Amino acid sequence: MSGGASNAVLSVRDLNVRFNSEDGVVHAVRGCGFDILPGKTLGIVGESGSGKSVTALAAMGLLPETAEVTGSVRLDGKELLGLSDKAMCRHRGNDIAMVFQDPLSSLTPVYSVGQQIIEALRIHHPGMSKQAMAARAVELLSMVGVPGPRDRLKAFPHEFSGGMRQRVLIAIAMANNPRVLIADEPTTALDVTIQAQVLEVLHTAQDETGAAVVMITHDLGVVAGMADDVVVMYAGKPVETGSAEDIYYNPRMPYTMGLLGAVPRVDVADKASLVPIDGIPPNLVRPPAGCSFAPRCPLAEEACLQGEPELLPVGGPEESGALPGSGAHQAACIRTDAVGPGVDVHELFHAPPVPVSCFDAVPRQERRTVLELRDVRKHFPLTKGSLIKRRIGTVRAVDGLSFDIREGECFSIVGESGCGKTTTLLEIMEFNKDQDGEVAIGGLSNKAASDARTRGAMRRELQMVFQDPTGALDPRFTVFEVLSEPLENAGMAKPAVRKRIMELMELVGLQPDHVNRFPNQFSGGQRQRIGIARALAVNPRLVVLDEPVSALDVSVQAGIINLLDKLRAELGLSYLMVAHDLSVVRHISNRVAVMYAGKIVEIGHVDTVFDHPRHPYTRALLSAIPVPDPRLERTRERIILRGDLPSPLDAPRGCNFATRCPVFAALPAAKQEKCLTAVPPLGPEAGLQAGERAAGPDQQFACFFPDGEIDADMLVFHEASDLPDLRSTTPRTEKMKGTP
Amino acid sequence: MTNLNAIDPAAVAEEARIENDDVVMAKSAIILRRFLRNKTAVAGLVLFLALTVFSFAGGFFSAWDKETIDPFNIGMPPSAEHLLGTSQAGIDLYALTVEGTRISILIGLVVGLVSVLIAAVYGCTMAYFGGKVDKVMLFVLEALIMMPALLVVAVATSGGGDGLRENVPSWLLLIIVLLVFSWMGSARLIRSLAMSLMQRDFVKAARYMGVPARRIVWRHLVPNIGSLLVLDITRGVTGAVLAEVAFSFVGIGIKVPDVSLGVLINQATSQVQTFPWMFWVPLVVMFLLTGSLAMMNDGLRDAFDPGSGSVGRARRKGK
Amino acid sequence: MFRYLAKRTATYLLMIFLTTSAGYFLAVSTLQPALLEQERIPRPTPEQVANSFRLKGLDPTLSPWERYIDWLTAIVTRWDWGRSPNGALINAEFGDRVWISTRLFLAAVVLTLIIGVALGVYTAARQYKFQDRVITSYSYLAYIIPAPIAYFLVQLGAINLNDTVGERIFFVTGISTPGLDGGAWVRFVDMLAHYAVPTLAITLVGWGTYQIAQRQYLLDNVNADFVRTARAKGLTRNQAITRHALRVSFIPVAQSIAFTIPAIFAGGFFAEKIFAWPGVGSWSIDAIALQDVNAATATLAYGSVIFAIGAILADFATTLVDPRVRVQ
Repeated sequence: MSGGASNAVLSVRDLNVRFNSEDGVVHAVRGCGFDILPGKTLGIVGESGSGKSVTALAAMGLLPETAEVTGSVRLDGKELLGLSDKAMCRHRGNDIAMVFQDPLSSLTPVYSVGQQIIEALRIHHPGMSKQAMAARAVELLSMVGVPGPRDRLKAFPHEFSGGMRQRVLIAIAMANNPRVLIADEPTTALDVTIQAQVLEVLHTAQDETGAAVVMITHDLGVVAGMADDVVVMYAGKPVETGSAEDIYYNPRMPYTMGLLGAVPRVDVADKASLVPIDGIPPNLVRPPAGCSFAPRCPLAEEACLQGEPELLPVGGPEESGALPGSGAHQAACIRTDAVGPGVDVHELFHAPPVPVSCFDAVPRQERRTVLELRDVRKHFPLTKGSLIKRRIGTVRAVDGLSFDIREGECFSIVGESGCGKTTTLLEIMEFNKDQDGEVAIGGLSNKAASDARTRGAMRRELQMVFQDPTGALDPRFTVFEVLSEPLENAGMAKPAVRKRIMELMELVGLQPDHVNRFPNQFSGGQRQRIGIARALAVNPRLVVLDEPVSALDVSVQAGIINLLDKLRAELGLSYLMVAHDLSVVRHISNRVAVMYAGKIVEIGHVDTVFDHPRHPYTRALLSAIPVPDPRLERTRERIILRGDLPSPLDAPRGCNFATRCPVFAALPAAKQEKCLTAVPPLGPEAGLQAGERAAGPDQQFACFFPDGEIDADMLVFHEASDLPDLRSTTPRTEKMKGTP
Repeated sequence: MTNLNAIDPAAVAEEARIENDDVVMAKSAIILRRFLRNKTAVAGLVLFLALTVFSFAGGFFSAWDKETIDPFNIGMPPSAEHLLGTSQAGIDLYALTVEGTRISILIGLVVGLVSVLIAAVYGCTMAYFGGKVDKVMLFVLEALIMMPALLVVAVATSGGGDGLRENVPSWLLLIIVLLVFSWMGSARLIRSLAMSLMQRDFVKAARYMGVPARRIVWRHLVPNIGSLLVLDITRGVTGAVLAEVAFSFVGIGIKVPDVSLGVLINQATSQVQTFPWMFWVPLVVMFLLTGSLAMMNDGLRDAFDPGSGSVGRARRKGK
Repeated sequence: MFRYLAKRTATYLLMIFLTTSAGYFLAVSTLQPALLEQERIPRPTPEQVANSFRLKGLDPTLSPWERYIDWLTAIVTRWDWGRSPNGALINAEFGDRVWISTRLFLAAVVLTLIIGVALGVYTAARQYKFQDRVITSYSYLAYIIPAPIAYFLVQLGAINLNDTVGERIFFVTGISTPGLDGGAWVRFVDMLAHYAVPTLAITLVGWGTYQIAQRQYLLDNVNADFVRTARAKGLTRNQAITRHALRVSFIPVAQSIAFTIPAIFAGGFFAEKIFAWPGVGSWSIDAIALQDVNAATATLAYGSVIFAIGAILADFATTLVDPRVRVQ
């Protein structure tokens, strides 16, 4: 346990990184240090701007030349800092490798995947024969689960999906069996099911090579499942370090505690408010004199502003001097005594009470319907050729969707990217009579929406909040102009507009005197509040939320979710939300629909669907979500789906999901026939068989064989072990099986 | 190069960056400050304004005008009486230069401004309607790019008959032809920028609020392609000045009796060894003119594009 | 890929047809050769003029549309591009000159591209260093000089050089020495001496844009994610840039070839005029001054063909460097 630098494969000491920017010198990393042992995984957690990626790039020697890097980075005892680019190249890709965040842009578009993998081999093994290199490349591709590796070597990156490209990048990184693998947000850009696949690939790769892994992420769930030790970074500095258990079950720094409280849990039905952390991280051009978290910390006192606290052991003095990664629990806080397992984080951070809406008491059937979709379809022709177009297929982006939303209710649509959830929103927003299917908003049907008046009335019923708060605000408009646009458009008089804008600013928790500022003078969270205020300006009954928090940091996200919850209760709003983060969906929604390839596969009350999913896809989706609870993460079973969404060209005739279905794979051939030939209808439990659980009161699904056995190949189970140390020596019971 | 008709790859490269870097986003006050901070750009602006003033007011500082022949000074080098010497016809070169500069600036400004206007309307229309309209308009645009402007200028300005040449001064004719052939490059760029803006959430938000299309174009699209338009104007003015000089130089643009910098340079080429000032004086003025515009363009580009220039190469911050 | 190029070619053929037709109508309605005839001494009667033009297929009494149909029929059926007002056959006049001009363009285009791209790469690798500043400043300077004046200055320079040396090294006008005897080698050297200055002039003015564009595209790619991936594999910064960023930065440059061809084409015309080359350019400018409708249109068609070839070359080059286009 007490490792130390002697056997650490990578040890970082007192790392400092400074950049020149137009505003001055940015001190991006301020004294970061950790050790990592062979075969272990170190998680570095932090929000954007915390310096975690810069730390990794500094260790790799990949920062721009203008960056000033001081301190020490030792690989097997050899100092890396200060090595020339050329000398560093002997280590990069050989002893120490890295996987980057964005798989789409990280591969060179003009070279085939095989060329790029072989290049990594050739650099470090110039004498290797061509055949040997090609064989090794095939081996690597099959290790990371790329189907048909021999043929895919010749393919170009644009012929791969994002998840497949990330696998290729992992293959490149693992090509020379590195001692250390740094993964910088390797799954952030991917869907949850693909994320689960890629994380399994990382597990496999680590097992096969015994590499030490540095996992950099903002996702506390991912870290919980992967890391032995965790470093929490804030404002360029580690603020708390320790074993995963220490950090998750016994956080001693208010920031860590707040961060954990800010994350909604997908596995918990309890609707307590999330913990918001007010304020924004400090500007690193002028590093703070005291504790960098003090301005946002509810426990801050005078002493916190007197010099920055050092990382000190939390338990007792005997562990002093140990470094992060050695397992010792340390925190950079002088008030660790006031934080601990006994402290309620909600109380500490003054989380608002759970808002109660007047509609909560009214049964759903008795509430008014604000939105109803009946059999809405959106098909795009898939054509080939540009001069004379040939139709070669149809993309069924939305294929016969029906649902309704009642007053005061939050209805969410979830699914992987490409499942049609965003198209559904666009169809609702478009609202014209040429659409295939009926959209009724507040009783107004699109089929009757011929004149501008009806459409104008509809626009006042329905407004939208966008995913990217920056892109959604015209950068040339002040906040006042942004908010006045819908009001003026609705024909409101000037003085009334002014008054309404002030109301709105207050409503969403912004200072009314900031109305003359431009969007770029606000933080991401504040911009999203402006976007919400704009949507609420004309008092709509229904607000469409398109991934409202996915572009925000965890601590900011909590504030926005709480705000949305509050507004729904206070104003009696209904929400239609699209989100890929199922934890957020579970937290905020009343009802949920799971979409797959343009169809709803399961719909119902959120707790019913999440606690007793019936459709195999829902089960897989839920099992793919990492939970910020290390013990649970290590012991639970998960379903790893194979491959990506099917291409629209080879859309199956029967059940859409059959190609990837873990239940289908385990079915006897006779039953499989049914899945392949008939489309399962969406409905409540049908044809009750003996021993089958009765479906909940509000739950429908589209599967012939709910609760079927899951194919063992797709089930992954990590053996339970209380001692994280043993993990690296315990062979995994199940390995990721490559997609066929 | 006289790339009037062509799309300058350098310009495309620059503008692609501006589009990507979201420079369109920077606000006018900041842009002005950045522009003013750029000494070259300010010098360019001052020089350009000075030349403009010179071309309109310069005539008052000389007793001679562009028509009066001084029979005692024919083909004389600069002297006290004739500041810049005289032409072979005995006309004061200073007066001719003032007149020529004015015509050149006039052609440049009119062509630069109007062609950007045409480009903006054409490009935005293409982007707004898309589909078939876009296809047809793009075809027309490419067909126009294909036509060698040089020949059309030659045909239009040499055309006899109709009394056209008598009634329409050759500089106006040149302006018209240059206008027809100078907007396509900008239009293509504006189209692609407007198309990407149409996909922006703030435009969608306005549409979903029910804001009419006209208002969206006016309030959201136009201001956000503003920086591109400003750059295109300076580039367009430069291009038009260069084209005028180039065409007149080979004898197909402005025709005598109209005077322009190109005409003056052209007239002096045959005796450049004997009467060097006749050649160099208008040439230097032309250089000052195009140079000042290039300097301004450079400064504007830097002002719009925070990534350019030598400051802040290390912009990557930690995640 | 072949089908893709074939389709592009068809589109360009249509465009050539349309631009040429439009050019014909423009020329027919503006150019009035009859007016020039009246300046002759002795002045011919209007009947004589009309008669003479009718024989040459230039009947001014016919409507533009009728003349267009006649003109088009002659081209389609007999590949006959008509006659000049002085009776000369366009086909014959054109035949000799086309190769002179095309040779000049080809040499200039190839040199411009190679030098421009090479210097762009060179300067991008030395961003903000002395060489970069000098070369890039030069490119901006080339941008603010009208092409014909630059050629004229080059010509002056060559003359001065000849004078200084006291011997004629370069020919500053014409395409070959008239009445030159000698073997193939002598004629080759003579040709080089004539080609050198005009080609140099066009190239000097032309490569600036490519240098700036190539430099910019390369710099844009230097910090791309895939370059970082390449460096993480163990390539040095310079290796990663030359093996990965360079190839990607060629894509937009290849795409832009098409749209710089007209500029080089115009440059070639100016160069012919300045260096007194008997090419299509100088001939057509003179012919237009003589109100020659058919010559003007034929040259216009030639220009469009050159552009189309450039555009197809650009498509071809793009498919070579970018695998994403290949699949289509």
